[in-house]
Amino acid sequence: MTLVTSVWEFIRDNQDRFNDLLFSHIHISASALVIAVLLYVPLGVMFSRMDRIGSSAVGALSSLRVIPSLALVFVFVPWLGFGYRPALLALVLLAAPPIVLNTFAGMRNVDASVIEAAQGLGMSQVQVFRRVQLPLAFPVMLAGVRSASVEIVASATLASLIGVQTLGQYIFTGISLLDTTYLLAGGLPIVALVLLVEMLFGGVERLSTPATR
Amino acid sequence: MVTRRTVIKSSVAVPFAGGALLAAVRPGSIAAQDLTVIVGSKDFTEQFILGNMYIQVLEDMGIATEDSTNLGGTQIAQQALEAGDIHLYPEYTGTGLTEVLGLSVDDVLGGGATPEASPVAEATPAASGDASQAVYDAVKTAYMEQFGLVWLERSPANNTQALAVKRAFSEENGITTISQLAEMAGDLIISAPADFPEREDGLLGLQRVYNSGFADIEVLPVAPGLKYQALQDDQAQVVLAFGTDGQIAGFDLVVLEDDLSLWPPYNIAPVVRQEVLDAYPDVEARFNDVTTSLTDEVLSDLNWRVDGDAREDPADVATAYLTDNGFIGG
Repeated sequence: MTLVTSVWEFIRDNQDRFNDLLFSHIHISASALVIAVLLYVPLGVMFSRMDRIGSSAVGALSSLRVIPSLALVFVFVPWLGFGYRPALLALVLLAAPPIVLNTFAGMRNVDASVIEAAQGLGMSQVQVFRRVQLPLAFPVMLAGVRSASVEIVASATLASLIGVQTLGQYIFTGISLLDTTYLLAGGLPIVALVLLVEMLFGGVERLSTPATR
Repeated sequence: MVTRRTVIKSSVAVPFAGGALLAAVRPGSIAAQDLTVIVGSKDFTEQFILGNMYIQVLEDMGIATEDSTNLGGTQIAQQALEAGDIHLYPEYTGTGLTEVLGLSVDDVLGGGATPEASPVAEATPAASGDASQAVYDAVKTAYMEQFGLVWLERSPANNTQALAVKRAFSEENGITTISQLAEMAGDLIISAPADFPEREDGLLGLQRVYNSGFADIEVLPVAPGLKYQALQDDQAQVVLAFGTDGQIAGFDLVVLEDDLSLWPPYNIAPVVRQEVLDAYPDVEARFNDVTTSLTDEVLSDLNWRVDGDAREDPADVATAYLTDNGFIGG
């Protein structure tokens, strides 16, 4: 209890600095997520429509998961140097496996008979995709985006190692000083952010899937 | 059963082994001189080189040693030394003062020292030299009183935190001190580990002591190993360095003088258990010869041989330095 109080007091005493770090953390996370969704959802859909190549491509992409995000953060530094761009790219890359894989799986798992029925009703290719496949695949795709967003928010901490000030500043300070107040001043807001994102996506998921219930 | 047999066995074995050692290693030497000196070090390049220097000087004197370098951080090395698990290791005066003894520089110099030494008027090198000696004296006295440990002579080298810039930048802007840098710091970017902006011995201290521009300096937080890369890539103009980092010599950087003495001195000396000096009185003089030869430039150069492209072995670097300067093999 006293620890939480001291963290709260620390944040209040350093309000401006904390706000800067929090804003920067949210900014880079949200940007990465938007780019990732725009990039990977179409990619996942594309792969789902390619027979064998599609699943091997998804498999290859999933293997990215084996690379620790700590290592992934440094991947673009030799070419792009330090700062916002390499950090953003790394976070976008990090989001690839969950979004592509779930989009792919969601699309592939739509029952073939449902698609046939839609075609039987005279729907065009585009109509089948937009009105049947996409809505049915949506919950699975959303789950992918959700887990990607959690990974991004958590890993934005590491951007503090390549030139972007995020809540990682507090966490790394806490580590080097062995100071719990700093660790929690960085860690607790990240936990709160992740929970918030989870709730947000949970809400969207419930709202968007009445048809299957 | 087992215990009894072990006891019997060892009671027979030990005298034999001891006798064999005495006879084989150093025939004719008196018992007190059969102490095998265990040399420790902390876990980074400079410490490896220094630890190996101590080992090699001892070996050159015909003293048996055991290599226990690469122990970890200050607390671990200090505990090992107190417990007698190691007999000596290289330590920094500022670290001994703050991390081991829990004191601050103000405790040593007296709280009134900072305002009295008016920023510009005093010749600063002399002043910082005095601080080095004051901290060394304080640490030496306190270690003897509290732990019975001996600080041998300190190095001229001062591995303090420091701000460094490229030589071209220093010359173009005529900047050699942190005070001068402070005037234009608002337009600069500093490459430093992520904890730098939050620390009292980092940006907060710079803002407090040098104020002016440091309020607006932009911080590029990077992994500790990448600090210099950002400078080399021109993504930053200033880097938070350690005084004897090999990169300073390797990349031809200029260390700015800490003219208002934000950081305590971090001169280096071997901290030794008394029994080593009792058993081998000559060690002190031999070690002092080596230590007093270690300037910032020397250590920076030695560190670079290990950390730079050459990637030499710390032991080899130590051997080359000691041999070239006649400290061993004479």
